[in-house]
Amino acid sequence: MGFLSYIGKRVLVAVALIVVVGTLNFTILHLAPGGPELVFLNPRITPSARALILRQFGLDKPIQIQYLLYLEGMVTGNWGLSYFYTEPAFDVISSRIPATLLLMVPSLILTVSLGILMGIASVRKPYSFLDRFLSSFAFFFYSMPVFWLGFILLSVFAVYVHVLPAGGMLSITTVGFDVRDYLWHLILPMTALTLINLANFSLLVRSSMIEVLDQNYITTARGKGLPERLVFYRHALRNGLLPTVTMLGLFVGAILTGAILTETVFSWPGLGSLTYASITSRDYPVVLALFFMFSILTIFSNLITDIVYGLLDPRITYD
Amino acid sequence: MISTTPKSLLAKASSFWRSYSRNRGALFAFFFLVALILAALLANYIFPGDVEAPNIGNEMLPPSFSAILGTDYLGRDQLALLVFGARTSLIVAFAAGGLLAVVGTMAGLLAGYFGGRTDGLIMRIADVFLTIPILPLILVIVAFASPNLLNVMFAIGLTGWPVMARVVRSDSLALMKREFIEIERVMGASSARILFKHLLPNQLNSILVYASLSIPAVILTEASLEFLGLTPLSVSWGFMLNVSMSYWIRGTWWMSFFPGFAIFMTALSFYFVSEGLKEALNPKLKRRRESLAVQVAERK
Repeated sequence: MGFLSYIGKRVLVAVALIVVVGTLNFTILHLAPGGPELVFLNPRITPSARALILRQFGLDKPIQIQYLLYLEGMVTGNWGLSYFYTEPAFDVISSRIPATLLLMVPSLILTVSLGILMGIASVRKPYSFLDRFLSSFAFFFYSMPVFWLGFILLSVFAVYVHVLPAGGMLSITTVGFDVRDYLWHLILPMTALTLINLANFSLLVRSSMIEVLDQNYITTARGKGLPERLVFYRHALRNGLLPTVTMLGLFVGAILTGAILTETVFSWPGLGSLTYASITSRDYPVVLALFFMFSILTIFSNLITDIVYGLLDPRITYD
Repeated sequence: MISTTPKSLLAKASSFWRSYSRNRGALFAFFFLVALILAALLANYIFPGDVEAPNIGNEMLPPSFSAILGTDYLGRDQLALLVFGARTSLIVAFAAGGLLAVVGTMAGLLAGYFGGRTDGLIMRIADVFLTIPILPLILVIVAFASPNLLNVMFAIGLTGWPVMARVVRSDSLALMKREFIEIERVMGASSARILFKHLLPNQLNSILVYASLSIPAVILTEASLEFLGLTPLSVSWGFMLNVSMSYWIRGTWWMSFFPGFAIFMTALSFYFVSEGLKEALNPKLKRRRESLAVQVAERK
């Protein structure tokens, strides 16, 4: 089987997952006390408006038709109406995506590059002081709530020392998008988000490298007298980093979760603070739509990692 | 059969304790958790009276001798609130952690024992839960099913089992290849007998380790839900942090520092306990400090 059919299969899995998430949303909506009517409709509207909306959303149709209509709506971007912003949930959400990406992507890049460096550093001399220090570091941050770390950073650098901004993505006075102002605001939230995820990622690199260094071909490479540096960087590193690629997809989910909490603390105007705001204002259509959006983001990044892995690993069989 | 006279049990327990307490972090964590559980149980006696009642005139006081950890936005003693809040965290930690362990173990055992289609189906469901982002899922479930402690526990327990299932499944698969299981099967033992007399008892140790390892994540998830304002509980660590969001800019660091520190210490302690359990229950194991994510990846 060729590479194309491998990709095709992964895409099919991704589509199936999206349908599963849509079904989950639909089920939750209908199992909720009061059902979709109570959830979606503003209680203050008039009966005639209510009947009109019920017809518009197809809520007067049998359940299986409603389900198909719901899935169709999910695909076409008809994700319900936010009754806090009184505009389509899809529009509310899409306008927030850039801000979340502007926080997540730099943090992801930093996590991956620092994580690889830290993993290598600790594996060069296993069980040395540096190795144990880095492992404890990981332990420490793994148990730490990211929003607490955010508060500490804010209290120190925005309240007491007063050197960094106390939240937001751009200063109120800034007109348009100013890169320097953005970077200035990015420092604290990115630090918090990165420290929490770095912990896990560096351990992942470490364990994957340790496994590779145990393999026979490494012993062979050493046995034939190759310099250790060459064995490590040419033979071990390349293979050791492969499994971490597959883990990246899983990590996007973790970083996304971290971003929801981080954005809330730092009032970063992305999907995370929208999540907080719509929970607080009981804006259910947006809460549901956000879950759908988060799922699409993780499913999509899993798909990309699968494809990249397929490209990188010559051993993989495409079936 | 192993004899289980009281004496051998005692000897076993003491040898277990000796190897467990060799890990100083695990020892400290154990005592911290015992103290926390006792404080949570005896909270009514330690802080008699209504700790939740507002105390006008004493709002947002920094730590002092009268209130060691300061007071909150309603003038209440933060130490008392933290001790009462420990109840919420511990109840959810044990209940949701227990539920997760039971569901995960059952799923893993069935997948590993029956294999084939059953295995495929269970593991596909597990994959779905591992792929979609869990915190948003729990948020949706809890928001729609009306936010209360019971729903939070169910949501966390029913979404967190796939990791456990993977671990149990791979151990079960390994056990299924062993001779004593083969012999049992040839002798016509029932599925239930093999599952619960052999597969389960043989992995109880690792199940215990992974259950305790998953508790830090449970605690952090529960705290996150409260921090996001989902479970309107008057006394909980996560909600104290939620409230502090409106005040930290005035420099009330103690309102966010102490609740977060409590969450952090509790999560870290469970982590250390699982580490200690791992070393004490499985002496052959090298001291490896792996994160949950790493272990998931390795079992893939």
